[in-house]
Amino acid sequence: MTREFHPLVKRLLDGELTLGDLPLELRPEGEEALRLLAALDSTPVTLSPLLDARVMATVRRRAGSPATARESFRAGRAWRWISAPRDVEIRLRVRPWAVGALAAAAVLAALVLGRPSAPPARGAIAAFGPTRPSALVRFVLYAPGAHRVAIAGTFNQWNSDATLLAPAGATGVWTTTVTLAPGQHQYAFVVDGERWVPDPAAPAVDDGFGRRNSVVAIAAPGGRAL
Amino acid sequence: MVRAVLAGDVEQFAVLVRRYRDRYARYAAHMLGSADAAEDAVQDALIRAFDQLRQCREPDRFAGWFFLILRNRCFAERRRGSREARPLEEAQQVATSLDGPDGAVERTERRRALQRALLALTPEQREVFVLKHVEGLPYEEIAQRTGATVASLKMRMHRAYDRLRGELEEHR
Repeated sequence: MTREFHPLVKRLLDGELTLGDLPLELRPEGEEALRLLAALDSTPVTLSPLLDARVMATVRRRAGSPATARESFRAGRAWRWISAPRDVEIRLRVRPWAVGALAAAAVLAALVLGRPSAPPARGAIAAFGPTRPSALVRFVLYAPGAHRVAIAGTFNQWNSDATLLAPAGATGVWTTTVTLAPGQHQYAFVVDGERWVPDPAAPAVDDGFGRRNSVVAIAAPGGRAL
Repeated sequence: MVRAVLAGDVEQFAVLVRRYRDRYARYAAHMLGSADAAEDAVQDALIRAFDQLRQCREPDRFAGWFFLILRNRCFAERRRGSREARPLEEAQQVATSLDGPDGAVERTERRRALQRALLALTPEQREVFVLKHVEGLPYEEIAQRTGATVASLKMRMHRAYDRLRGELEEHR
């Protein structure tokens, strides 16, 4: 069984106390704790001199490729993501005033999604300007036994401390409502500050680093959450 | 420099690479358990920074923005690593690559044991430990960099102390 350091010894390790501040009986434990820190190596790590060349070679290659091609690839991928049929659960709570906007959004979405298979013009998704109203999206996670659940995503700079979910009694259900601007947002739940969990009820994409991020798309003002 | 790159002068990115390539290398090495893994992470993060440079809202604070990209990369790597049962050799590799010229066997062994124990922490616990005790940052600055509160950082750190003690006792 793990022996925990005495709280005063932890303050010693934090630099808030000195060994002399500890009661005599705690000093051996304090010395043990300081030996632990003394074993740390703070020698600077220098990376290979070739790293610069490798990075710049990639950067030049990417900059050299026609930007429009990359962007149209992204637009095409976004279009496929939006137009591909999939089972989704719509979880959205809107203010009453947003109902009108929601109806307008549905009409607009029908027009957009009903187009033939050619990709849309560049920036079709981003055409919803920042002045449009935001949507209130309710996120729900069933996490029985969790002590703390947060949501981190592109809308809060992946800060796992910024947006906490509230428990719904002792049901194991955690919820929060977040105001999101139109567009696509990636996110994940963070359980007990340590475990990153994708939303089981949402589509997911690879984050490029081998992890799956959940995705919510606000397709229109007051919009639709996928 | 950031603005010059955004304006189309791609070669100026080389200045950013030179300036920031080693700044967080030690952080990445301790987070990932080896200097090689740190090099991969820094390289990926620099390329990703170039790809997403338009999202850098405050070009004058490129360092903090780049740190967050590297941090995400390290966390993703560690999460993947924890699923794949990290080989022990990595911990030894860091201890070796960080060894000083004194080379005292006992000191080296203690370092290795501590590095192994560090890899047993969660990424969040390891991060606060590395930033405070390796990089020497106060809690307030760590909070600023990571977006966590000082109180939650202290809680993570204190759990890390206990877990390190347990790990070191277990492998003594």
